Amino acid sequence: MRAPRTVDLDVVRALTRHDLTAVRRSPAVIIPILVLPLFLLVLLPLSIGIAARNPDMSVDRYLDLLPGRLADPIEALPDSERLIVLVLGYLIAPMFLIVPLMVSAVLAADSFAGEKDRRTLETLLHSPVRDRELYLAKLASAFVPALLVSWVGFAVFAVVANLVGWGILHRVFVPTGRWLVLILWVSPASAALGLGIMVRVSMRARNTQEAQQLGGAVVVPLTVLAVAQASYLLLYPVAVSLGVGLAVWLVAIALNARGAALFTRDRMASRL
Amino acid sequence: MDVGAISSRGLSRAFASGPALVDLDLDVGSGQVLALLGPNGAGKTTTVRLLNGILRPDAGTATVLGLDPWADGEAVRRRTGVLTEQAGLDERFTAMENLVLAARLRGFSADEGRRRAGDLLERLGMGDRVDTVVQGFSTGQRKRVALARALLHEPDLLFLDEPTSGLDPSATKGVVEMIADLAREHGRTVVLCTHFLGEAGRLADRMAVLFHGRLQAEGTPAEIARRLWGTRRTEVDLGHAATPEVVALLARVPGSEAVEATDTGIAFEADERAVVADAVATLVGSGRAVFGVHTHEPTLEDVYFAVEARALRGDDAEVTA
Ligand SMILES: Nc1ncnc2c1ncn2[C@@H]1O[C@H](COP(=O)(O)OP(=O)(O)O)[C@@H](O)[C@H]1O
Ligand SMILES: [Mg+2]
Repeated sequence: MRAPRTVDLDVVRALTRHDLTAVRRSPAVIIPILVLPLFLLVLLPLSIGIAARNPDMSVDRYLDLLPGRLADPIEALPDSERLIVLVLGYLIAPMFLIVPLMVSAVLAADSFAGEKDRRTLETLLHSPVRDRELYLAKLASAFVPALLVSWVGFAVFAVVANLVGWGILHRVFVPTGRWLVLILWVSPASAALGLGIMVRVSMRARNTQEAQQLGGAVVVPLTVLAVAQASYLLLYPVAVSLGVGLAVWLVAIALNARGAALFTRDRMASRL
Repeated sequence: MDVGAISSRGLSRAFASGPALVDLDLDVGSGQVLALLGPNGAGKTTTVRLLNGILRPDAGTATVLGLDPWADGEAVRRRTGVLTEQAGLDERFTAMENLVLAARLRGFSADEGRRRAGDLLERLGMGDRVDTVVQGFSTGQRKRVALARALLHEPDLLFLDEPTSGLDPSATKGVVEMIADLAREHGRTVVLCTHFLGEAGRLADRMAVLFHGRLQAEGTPAEIARRLWGTRRTEVDLGHAATPEVVALLARVPGSEAVEATDTGIAFEADERAVVADAVATLVGSGRAVFGVHTHEPTLEDVYFAVEARALRGDDAEVTA
């Protein structure tokens, strides 16, 4: 069998570090992965939060629409606090699925398909680096920054949300335990999913542009789905977040495992 | 026992577009410089990729440095260096950064990588561009950096795929001289893929000619010429075209063949040098003035174009020993 039995972590690290440095030097990559979270995790909550300080806006009619006892945690609050807690404490949750998904997708497109555009892949194939090492390095160089961006983004978001809400709440309301499940379990799964999708797409695509188009065709509907379906995620019991995270992880792992199986030298060298 | 650097039997590979390499039987001894010749699309790059184990053969076997390149690709690639057609440097990095990555991937420390890269870049005339970002480099400068990368680990076997394509004449000269040095040092085996015959003629011990994925001829230019033509052509300068009597006179010299008048004299073919001496003696003895005698030693170009002509005629019999 040709499958390598071992992985040289030094080699994986060297490749990953190289890719991360490359990202820092590529405006076309670094700008979207910074602007997107800045907008979705900082500016959007900031403007929603400022609007939500309006004491005349009542959320009671919205809360009536929520099924079952989902509205309970909000209804337990005084009227003046309901809007801002609902919006920044709960409904903003999908952004923490969308940001890691998109960031990892952009990075994976650059790292897998971009290598083809830059014509640097052939040299790597002619080196003694094992298929598995190359694949792991590519995964790491998209996954690690996606996680970092969502975590740093979350920290900034938490500060912004608490600052905006302070005048009304006079207490820290983000993060809660459910937030931590979202950030530490569901967001990474979402990053892995974006990665899995782009790995498969990039292997088919002839260049980065095609990979981004194909990838967008999958990722954009997923973000719509996230906004539509995941808004109540934090209102549900924590088991729901755990379950959603698990489901996303399983799909992501399946996609990545299939990607790894297809990531062979012969296949890559045939598409140079 | 010296098993040679490369040996392949029946090596074949097809793509969706059709066969790229068909039944390649090739042997390259250790320390030899082989010119792998052929027009674009002949299968040269595919051959390199198969021999370095990054493509899997559909059929046939190969042994490279005593190993099977597909089964033991990693071990083969530790001992080979490849200069790919596209230099394949990361534009966003400096020459040094590109080389240090390559060194790290081959198991060298970053320090050792920097030391080796610095030495090689200096030697290849890139000493003043070490810390410059590759983006602004000319094709020739890229080739040099890529060549340094292929040499970092002192490979036993060096594949050079179109090393001078895209270079201007003076850069070509520089690269060809560099390759000549490389081939001479430590008896390194070199496979030089090219469709430029000049550089191949200067550098190679042996040539292999591919057309449409098939090996058409293999050997030294002289060997192939003998197999192609059997004889060597000699031209004699008589100052004017030979008369029919002179043609008849030379045709009677034992061993001379294909005697014919030319614009400036007479030409004939012979497989022994002695026939040339006899022919000249006969001409002089019959009172003809001989101004010059030229026995044609076939160059790589002659051989290449003759092989090409045969291939285009569809004459498939291979010109090998
Ligand atoms: N990855 C590939 N996919 C499809 N066709 C290929 C591929 N690689 C090479 N070929 C085809 O195989 C033939 C030989 O190509 P190549 O080995 O690159 O020739 P050369 O290096 O002599 O120019 C060409 O017809 C080329 O189009
Ligand atoms: Mg080629």
